[in-house]
Amino acid sequence: MPDDPRILLALALVFAPLSLLSIGGGASLLAEIEHQSVGVHAWTTPREFADLFAISRAAPGPGTMLSTLVGWKVGGLAGALSATVALYLPSCLLVYGVARLWRRWRGSIWHTAIERGLAPIAAGLILAGGIAVLRVSPGGLMVWLAAALSTGIILWRPHLHPLVLFAAGGALFGLVGAIEL
Amino acid sequence: MMEQPVHVDGGEQIGLPALFAAFFRLGIVSFGGGTAGWLYREIVERRHWIRDTEFLSRAGLAHLMPGSGGVNLTVQVGQLLRGGPGAVAAVFGLLSGPFVIVLALAASYARVSQNATVHAVLDGIAAAAIGLTFATGLKLVQFRVASAGPLAITVATVLCVGVLRWPMIPVVLCLAPISITLALFDRTGWNA
Repeated sequence: MPDDPRILLALALVFAPLSLLSIGGGASLLAEIEHQSVGVHAWTTPREFADLFAISRAAPGPGTMLSTLVGWKVGGLAGALSATVALYLPSCLLVYGVARLWRRWRGSIWHTAIERGLAPIAAGLILAGGIAVLRVSPGGLMVWLAAALSTGIILWRPHLHPLVLFAAGGALFGLVGAIEL
Repeated sequence: MMEQPVHVDGGEQIGLPALFAAFFRLGIVSFGGGTAGWLYREIVERRHWIRDTEFLSRAGLAHLMPGSGGVNLTVQVGQLLRGGPGAVAAVFGLLSGPFVIVLALAASYARVSQNATVHAVLDGIAAAAIGLTFATGLKLVQFRVASAGPLAITVATVLCVGVLRWPMIPVVLCLAPISITLALFDRTGWNA
């Protein structure tokens, strides 16, 4: 695995700007991370990206550990650190600075307008992220159907623990895969 | 310009190691996102480190700002309790556990990545997780489905980023001002 400083820099340059644009949380970055990792930089194959996505979702943590995994894939431990710091540091610094002004700003027209204006974009980015992963997933039609089913189940039973669903999905596909072999 | 640390319910100041430990625990138990919910139970309900109303206001800001809502909230809780060092301790606490766990999973994956069943299982997990992603997005849409403007913005975002695969940054930089302007003019349902 190359510990080339240029790769560490490339990772930081991709993830740091995204940090400040991840409206509505890490999920909104999914489409762009796929675009950069598979398309622009060829850091992962589509197959690897789909696998890393699944691993990042099965692990605990606040959202986007996917960047950590992409960093690890191209640059080992240093790559993982570089991608993680790049993704979290800018937004953390921003929120640290803005938190001081928060009380004064609360309830103003601008605050409400920004909140309301960004929500539909966040929703669109999150949906686009789902589409982006479906696109690279080599599992084919079955993954599309299972994703639709899973969407329905969560909308129907919002309090279902995600791990239960992940385990069910993994077990189902594992069994079908074993039969096909 | 250090903010005054908060002394909760007349208690003594919370130590940095305790802060780190509390968030470390939070990091490794919060599965499937939703860190804010875990944070609320642990920091407000169980430990009473922060008052309810303060937490909710901070959660609002956390989701408004870019970045993971859970991490943003962690920065603010750390800052409220122990200023800058508190924010650093809390964020490191929150992220270090998941960082190690996700790399351990990836390292074991690398050893078995030629195995077809492993790919099948991961496809199944991915499908379930994509469903979770879609459900989150749809719930956000449903929230404001009454109004045509925001809905059009959501559809435009999905088209540009998801279908046409345009890069996210210029798309967001173009759509955000339009959407915020729309929100300024369309104030139906505003409480303020």
